Amino acid sequence: MVTMAKQEYDVIVIGTGAGGGMAMKTLCEAGLKVCALNAGRKLDPEKDFRNHRMPWDMKYRSFGDPATRSESIGFMDSEYVAGVWDHEIKFTTAPGSKWFFPRCLAVGGKTNFWGRSSARFGDIDFRAASLDGHGVDWPLTYAEIAPYYSRVERMIGVASSVQNRPSNPDGEYLPPFNFRCFDNILAKGAEKVGVPYLHDRIAQLTRDHEGHPACHFCGACTTGCDTGSFFSTHWRFLPKAEATKNLELRTNALAKDILVDENGMAKGVAYIDRGTKQEVEVYGRAVVVAATCVETARIMLNSKSRFWPNGIANSSGQLGRNLCDHLYGESARGYLPQLLGQPSFPDGVGDNTIVWMPRWQNLKNPKEESFVRGYSVYPYGGCSEYPWYAMQAEGFGSSYKREVKRRYPTPVSFSIQAPSLPLDTNFVDIDPEAKDPYGIPLARIHFQWDENVLKMWEHSKKVCADVIRAAGGVYEGSADEPAVPGWSLHDTGTCRMGNDPKKFVTNPFGQTHDVPNLYACDASIFPSPTDKTTTISIMTFTLRGCEHMLEDFRSGKLKRA
Amino acid sequence: MAGQDLQRREILRIMALAAAAAPFPGFSRWSFALGHESRGMEQIRPANYKPQFFSDGEYAVVERLTELIIPTDQTPGAKEAGVAEFIDFMISRDREQQYPFRTGLSWLNAHSERLLGKPFLGLSDKEQISILEPLAYKAKYREGEEDGREFFRRMKEMTIMGFYTTEIGYKELDNPALKFYAESPACPHKDDPEHKHLPPPKW
Repeated sequence: MVTMAKQEYDVIVIGTGAGGGMAMKTLCEAGLKVCALNAGRKLDPEKDFRNHRMPWDMKYRSFGDPATRSESIGFMDSEYVAGVWDHEIKFTTAPGSKWFFPRCLAVGGKTNFWGRSSARFGDIDFRAASLDGHGVDWPLTYAEIAPYYSRVERMIGVASSVQNRPSNPDGEYLPPFNFRCFDNILAKGAEKVGVPYLHDRIAQLTRDHEGHPACHFCGACTTGCDTGSFFSTHWRFLPKAEATKNLELRTNALAKDILVDENGMAKGVAYIDRGTKQEVEVYGRAVVVAATCVETARIMLNSKSRFWPNGIANSSGQLGRNLCDHLYGESARGYLPQLLGQPSFPDGVGDNTIVWMPRWQNLKNPKEESFVRGYSVYPYGGCSEYPWYAMQAEGFGSSYKREVKRRYPTPVSFSIQAPSLPLDTNFVDIDPEAKDPYGIPLARIHFQWDENVLKMWEHSKKVCADVIRAAGGVYEGSADEPAVPGWSLHDTGTCRMGNDPKKFVTNPFGQTHDVPNLYACDASIFPSPTDKTTTISIMTFTLRGCEHMLEDFRSGKLKRA
Repeated sequence: MAGQDLQRREILRIMALAAAAAPFPGFSRWSFALGHESRGMEQIRPANYKPQFFSDGEYAVVERLTELIIPTDQTPGAKEAGVAEFIDFMISRDREQQYPFRTGLSWLNAHSERLLGKPFLGLSDKEQISILEPLAYKAKYREGEEDGREFFRRMKEMTIMGFYTTEIGYKELDNPALKFYAESPACPHKDDPEHKHLPPPKW
C-alpha cells in the first residue's frame, strides 16, 4: 500500500551525512521548504555515544559480546556505539570481488564518527588525467572551487598549518594540534628520508568556534563527540536547518526510488518507513540524492521508468561506473627505543589522527615513480588507550609486565591512503536476485584493486620502514595485505561529473544532465579519488551545487512548491 | 560553560558506571575494578565467585595462569584485577573459544603429569614456570607442544584483555586516556626533537 503525502516540498534531500547535511542547511537557510529523508534514527549523544565511559564501565570491556560477534560488522561497530551501525540493509558482491561496507544510517551518517581529515583537493588532482593519461580531468579548476572551500572551512572549523605544498592548497585554519614526542622524533626521521611530516588538516576545534566549544582532547572521537567539537551534521548543520523551520526530517525513511513526472523529471521520492514497513511517497520540485556512492547508485539505478529504462539520468550509461576507493593498510609498524620507560603522555588526542605525510610522489614530474599520482600516509603512535602491542612482546611474568609498561609510549604505525584508478571493471549495478528485507533490489559491487594502487602500497611499505629506521626506531613489520576494499569508507564515483552529457552523469554542479531538477551531492560525482579524504570536498561541492540550484529557483527555471 | 560541561560529563560517567556495574551479580572483584580510589586494596578478597563456564577445578587453573602471566609484584596484577572472572564471563559467551580453552586446560594438566608427575596446580611455582616457558619463548619452543603454545597464546591474549581494561590496568600503565585538556598536549622536549637526551627510563 502506498501512502500519499499531500504536502509538496521545494526539495527532497536523501541522506543527512556530509552532503545531505550541507544541502539541507543551505537550502533551508535560503528559505526553501525541505524534506530530508534519513534511513536510520536520530541519535541521542548522551545515550548513543559512550565515548566517555571507561572500558570497565562496559559489560564486555568495549570488546563487545562474543556471543554476537558474528553479527558485528567489525571496524567501528564497537560496544561504545552499539546499535548505531546498521546491520539490516545489505549489499552483494560479484564473484571475485570483495567489499567492506559498514553503514551508519543514523542522522548525520558517518559524520558522527569520521576521521576528520579535511584537506583541499588541488589542480594536481583535477588535472591528473592530463598529467598522466588515466581517466578524465575534473570539469573545473581549483580557482573556481577555492572560495567554497574557504566558506566551508569557516563554517566547520579546520585546524592545521600553512604548508605551501603543490599538491595541498592551504586553507583558512584554526591553530594546529601540537606535535607529541613521537611526532618530533618521526618528523626528524622523515626529514632524513626526504618526505614530509606535518599537521593534518583536521575538522576539530582547537578553540571555540561558531558557538561550539573547543575540543577537550579526550581522544575518543571515533565513538562520537558529546560537545560537537568536531564537525558532524548532528551538531552543526541539523540545528541550523531546524532553526529555519523550513526542514522536515523524516527518520527511518529508506529511499527506494526517485519518482518522475510526465516529462521524466524528478517529482519526488518513494521510501520505506522502516517503522511501519510501508511505502510512502513524498513530492518535491527538486531532489538531492546524497546517500553515498553505492547507495546513490542503487537508488538511481532502481529508479526505472519509461523515460529512464536503465535508471534515472543514465542516458550516458555511466551511472554506477567509475567506482573508486582509497586503499588502506598498515604500511609499517615499529617502536622508538628513545621513549622506552619514559612517562606516559596523552598521545591519543584526536583519536591519534592529527598528523599526516601528504603526497610527496610525482609532484614535479607526473611519471617520476613506477606508479602515477600519489598517496598520503597517516602516522599514529604513542600511548594508546589499549596496549595493542602487548601480544607482540614475548613471554610472561614480572619481566613481561615491565616490558609492556616500558614500551607503552613507544609504538608507532603508519597507515597508507592511496587512490585507486577508475577501471571499466569496477562498478555498481543492481543484483538481479537479492533484495533487502523491504523488497528493494540490492546494490552489487564489482571491485578489484588496480596495479597502480598496489604499487603505491609496496612503495609506502619501504618508505615508512625507512622513516622508522631513520628516526632511530625499530621496524617490526608491515601488514601482509592491504585492507579490504571499502574499508576506508572513501568510495568515489558512480555519478561522475563532466561537461559532456554523453559521457557523464552530472555536470560540474552535481546536477544530472538528463534530469535538471535532480542533483547528486556526495562523492559519487567525483571523477577520481585523490590522496586526500572526501568529506570536506563533498561539503564544498554540495555548497556550490546547491547555490546553483538556488539560482534556478530564483530565475524561475525551478518553480517553488 | 565548558567547565559545567565537564562536570556534567563526569556525573554522566559515574551514572553510566553504576548502571553498567548493576547487571553483574557475583562479580566480586569487578566491583573493585569498577570502583573508586577510596576503596582499599584489602577489600578485594574473593567472595566465592561462582564460575559461569569453567568447572571450579578449571577455574582455579585459569586464575593461576593469569597470575603467572601478569603477576602481583610491586604493583597489583591479574589477580587483584579479577581477570579470571572476566575470562570466565567472556568464554561463557564465546562458543568459538570454549573448546580450545577446555581442551587446552586438559592438555596442560596431562602435560604436567607427563613431565613432572602432578597436575599443574600441584606443581611448585618454579615448576609451573618451567612448564610455561617453552610455550612462551620462541627460543625455548619444543617439538610436539604446538597445541600447548596455541592454548597459552589464547590465555595470554585474554589475560591482557582482562587486565589492561580495568582501572588497575590503567593505573599500571599510567594510561592518560579520557583526561580532559584545555589545549592539545605538546611534547615537553622542544629543545631535543630527536629525544636523545631524555632523563633515564622510569622503569
